[in-house]
Amino acid sequence: MKYKNLNNYAFPDNEGRFGEFGGKYVSETLITALEELEKVYAKVKKDKSFQEEVIKDLNDFVGRPSPLYFAERWTKKLGGAKIYLKREDLNHTGAHKINNTVGQVLLAKKMGKKRVIAETGAGQHGVATATVAARHGLECIIFMGEEDIERQALNVYRMKLLGAEVCSVDSGTKTLKDAMNEAMRDWVTNVEDTHYIIGSVAGPHPYPEIVRDFNSIVGKELKIQSKKEFGKYPDIIVACVGGGSNAMGIFHPFIKETKTKLVGVEAGGSGVKSGKHAAPLSDGKVGVLHGMKTYLMQDKNGQILSTHSVSAGLDYPGVGPEHAYLRDIGRVEYQSATDQQALKSFHDLTKTEGIMPALETSHALAYVNKIAPKLSKSKTIVINLSGRGDKDMFTVAKEDGMTL
Amino acid sequence: MTRLEKVFNQKETKNKVLVTYTVAGDPNLESSKKILNDLIASGADILEIGVPFSDPMSEGPVIQKAHERALKKNIQFKDILNLCKQIRIKNKNVPIVLMGYMNSFLSLKNKLAKELNQAGVDGVIVVDLPYDESKSFFNNLKKENIDLIRLISPTTDAKRLKRMLASSSGYLYYVSLKGITGAELKNFNEVKNKVKNIKSLTNLPVVVGFGIKDAQTAKKMASFSDGIVVGTKIIDFIEKKSTPKISNFTKSLKKAIN
Repeated sequence: MKYKNLNNYAFPDNEGRFGEFGGKYVSETLITALEELEKVYAKVKKDKSFQEEVIKDLNDFVGRPSPLYFAERWTKKLGGAKIYLKREDLNHTGAHKINNTVGQVLLAKKMGKKRVIAETGAGQHGVATATVAARHGLECIIFMGEEDIERQALNVYRMKLLGAEVCSVDSGTKTLKDAMNEAMRDWVTNVEDTHYIIGSVAGPHPYPEIVRDFNSIVGKELKIQSKKEFGKYPDIIVACVGGGSNAMGIFHPFIKETKTKLVGVEAGGSGVKSGKHAAPLSDGKVGVLHGMKTYLMQDKNGQILSTHSVSAGLDYPGVGPEHAYLRDIGRVEYQSATDQQALKSFHDLTKTEGIMPALETSHALAYVNKIAPKLSKSKTIVINLSGRGDKDMFTVAKEDGMTL
Repeated sequence: MTRLEKVFNQKETKNKVLVTYTVAGDPNLESSKKILNDLIASGADILEIGVPFSDPMSEGPVIQKAHERALKKNIQFKDILNLCKQIRIKNKNVPIVLMGYMNSFLSLKNKLAKELNQAGVDGVIVVDLPYDESKSFFNNLKKENIDLIRLISPTTDAKRLKRMLASSSGYLYYVSLKGITGAELKNFNEVKNKVKNIKSLTNLPVVVGFGIKDAQTAKKMASFSDGIVVGTKIIDFIEKKSTPKISNFTKSLKKAIN
């Protein structure tokens, strides 16, 4: 299937779907909560004062707009297209994740919820949630896989300092997907006083829409900044894709701008052919998990496969339903980068630009590393630099054979 | 008349229905078969057989572990269908209901309803398939006379309930609490009122499940419903390797509700 005309692109539809993807595959108990969320969100989406409140927090608390930075030395080194970085790493708490939590916490308050819960992989979404919960004085519980707690010890401590309770999840693969299962279990039990702040454009409707909208500030800013900086929209926008929130945030305002090529980069782990990866759009099948129909890594019996990626934030067997749709209609091209390629790009950017990227983001860098030299100097590439790499020190050191 | 209708038709004699839940292949296929046959022999009227899934989002810790044990034995969907066939050979009447998650059922694609029918399965409960998403699934099952058993929860409102009842069959499963399987049951009166309300709107039988762990609670719940579902407590016996105790426990439940 190839898209013809995207002028009327307006998803999700009334049933919460992006083509065949998305929907609301949850237990009956959660339906009322999702319907309430849908109703409240539809209202605040049009509510000027709510939107102003979000913008005010994004400016004064998060530090937006984030700069569009010309990576001059890296561009020279690769010798091709001009490379720009959209600096989400400079946000408060160090990643794009806070764009969503700032908005969702206001939603939670609007619904009168006193308690917020969240799942986290790399810990960035957990920190971003704990941060806004602290600011608004809400009780906060973060679910995190046992394995991730180990590899992201710094973020775990940050969350605790912010007053959140971090619940270790030791079921299943002990990573992000299991943290999400456990968060769902908590939500179904405490549905009346609790808002679940999902951290990606994943989960049941209306979450993929809500998380996308709050993150799309990134793409909206880029539209203005790119015109100012180089007089046109970028030729290519590249972002890493786990669940897909930073990618959706920067892609969405450009979906109808078809002259701009959009590329999502999944975690190739040890290589897509090895089976040890987290790239469902490259090597998955359609199924249902965590409330949504989407591409999943699964076996022939529908069991979800364990994933592998050096970056905890991409270590997820599914992907947001809008990405699944954009893949199928061919509007976004999905590629993958391996652990080793990502690690190399981590070092390259750190040394060439003095910017230490998150390992998640390094996957997007790895793809650009490959294509930029082949493109003419008149082309511009923008990478969503979705987060900073401080949290990954221990992982990188370990990969380099060092102990800190 | 379907097997499920026959079981609930004994309502004339005021017998309440005992539904048991165990996970296929827990702790292994052979024991699973023996446990199911023992359950029938000790008074189970309907067998709900769990389809093990890697991500059982609605289950409490006890049933989660049962899913994990079964998956460790590499249980395939075809093994579960085979298990149902073997139960069916020995027993022509007991209704068999498969309970699981959408992704497992999707793995059989368009062969699902036929395969279920051939295995002697009477109904299906899909935990993460709410009414809103179930239309084509419901219709496909209907073609092979498989009932899609609806879960109704404390948060289901009246308007939604009426819409659901219009496309329900077999029986209705009232989830007695907001939470996961095996959680603490707190508000008995709320359950009673809700079940009475559902029964006033439909002729379909209503069974109550989640949080029923002893004969006393079972008796209370059965007093205003058509039957009860017990899962976690039975699986607890399997986890503790005391399966011989399951028969007596089941008998005590059966006695308590009638």
